[in-house]
Amino acid sequence: MAIKRADFPLPAVDDERLAPYFEAAARGALVIPRCGACDAWCWYPRERCPVCDGTSFSWTPVSGDGALFSWTVVRRAFLPAFADKVPFVTGLVALREDPAVRIVAWIVDVEPGALVAERAMRTVFRPLSFSTVPDRSVVVPMFTPA
Amino acid sequence: MTDAWEPAVELDDVSGRVAIVGIGETAYTKASGRTARQIGAEAAERAIADAGLTPSDIDGLTYSGAFADFDVAAFHEHFGTTHEMWSSPWGGGMTWAGTAPYHAAQAIAAGNARHVLNVFPVAWATQRGSMTGGPGEVHASEGFKQSLEVPCGWFPQPVYFATIMRRHMIEFGTTEEQFGAIAVAARRHANLEPSAVMHGRPMSIDDYLGSAMLADPLRLFDSCLISDGGAAYVTTSVERARDLPHRPAVVAGVGEAWSPTRTHWSQQPDFTATPQVRSAPAAFAMAGLTPADVDVLALYDPFTVVALMQIEDMGFCPKGDGGSFVLGDTLHHDGGVLPLNTHGGLLSHAYVLGIAHVVELVKQLRGTASAQVPGPEVAVYGGYTGANASTLILRKG
Repeated sequence: MAIKRADFPLPAVDDERLAPYFEAAARGALVIPRCGACDAWCWYPRERCPVCDGTSFSWTPVSGDGALFSWTVVRRAFLPAFADKVPFVTGLVALREDPAVRIVAWIVDVEPGALVAERAMRTVFRPLSFSTVPDRSVVVPMFTPA
Repeated sequence: MTDAWEPAVELDDVSGRVAIVGIGETAYTKASGRTARQIGAEAAERAIADAGLTPSDIDGLTYSGAFADFDVAAFHEHFGTTHEMWSSPWGGGMTWAGTAPYHAAQAIAAGNARHVLNVFPVAWATQRGSMTGGPGEVHASEGFKQSLEVPCGWFPQPVYFATIMRRHMIEFGTTEEQFGAIAVAARRHANLEPSAVMHGRPMSIDDYLGSAMLADPLRLFDSCLISDGGAAYVTTSVERARDLPHRPAVVAGVGEAWSPTRTHWSQQPDFTATPQVRSAPAAFAMAGLTPADVDVLALYDPFTVVALMQIEDMGFCPKGDGGSFVLGDTLHHDGGVLPLNTHGGLLSHAYVLGIAHVVELVKQLRGTASAQVPGPEVAVYGGYTGANASTLILRKG
């Protein structure tokens, strides 16, 4: 396999393009890059703002509130790390500040049958760990019904 | 949300200039123990022979830049040739199974080649044991996915497309039975095609609904196979085609378009659509045809929802109506208004990433397909990778 990182599938928190995201999560904040020129939210991070072509961004806190865009109940472990996690719910939450920004996240503390499209969601910050990566965890934003 | 899409790639008008004159296929199997290079060589050999040519006649080669298993070096090694060859990595399967004839047409027009071979082999069934998740590895290797998606369990393709299916159901009321109709039609065709991996294994809608749920609402039978196999085709000028043994399949139109978010499906503005929104109209415009003129269709179908979205996005029915459109015999070779993947597709024929789709369309236009549509004149391929899509319109020559 091409992925050599020993802590895969934990996030690569030292990826400089994403480090501020995981640093913020560790202190309980959700931050998204915002264009310094036109205030557009730009997710995923990119070198140029797709709205105004600006090149300066600041990682800016958002409310963490959003709406459930879509989700799936994963029943098959496609990677060994998920063997003891299935079934689980993962999905996309559209942020209140800009619904075009979708956060991919664990959907937690809810029965899958209770999920409906556009349901109000809020961020919770939880340590993520895998049995295949002993003694390591990374705090990530997850979502639960508001 | 059509403004959510980038314009189609600007292509020169190549309508009516070149034709596919030779096709070749290997066996389509589960793990064969063969390498992709060996499979590619066999497909190439058969396509060249079918065209009535010899290896030394082939002076152009298009292959997959992403999976470069059969390039010029492999060609020469296999055939023992040494001649100069024009080549391009913008060929092979997926999107490029549809655009390779465009690059061939340009090379032929420029005098760089006369007979251009496009080859795509795959040995993913054999390689499966050594990969993270087969074709998922490409996605897991990408940085944003690796840190923002994979850790959340949003990986690999069955999970992406389960989420897209759900959203299609939310927005348009599409039902499980409607997705199932696509899977059942593919299997019906595979049962008429002896080379299909799933030949001899009929599937009813109840079988579909009873198949294992991988990631709700996506079932095992919404998903493509993992296969070994390959195919190839030879393109030449329409003038040269007249000298060759088979009725040519003339390239009438080509389209190509890209998603603004490439394979970051999670951020794609129009989540339940494909770049066919742009690619197909460009190809139909080049061909001077409309979707209503299409007699047989082959769509890249890694999951049922990908076929469904392309049917809508290419203009065969209004956006969102795909679910009701595909019910009944719509997609069947014998009497359907839009025969789809008459060889069984990625779902039930073999996962050879679209190259067999184009070969099947050539057979349909020749009148030699196993699940033959009566007298087709216009055949269309829709290629897809997520990052991009292509449209290839072929006419009976």
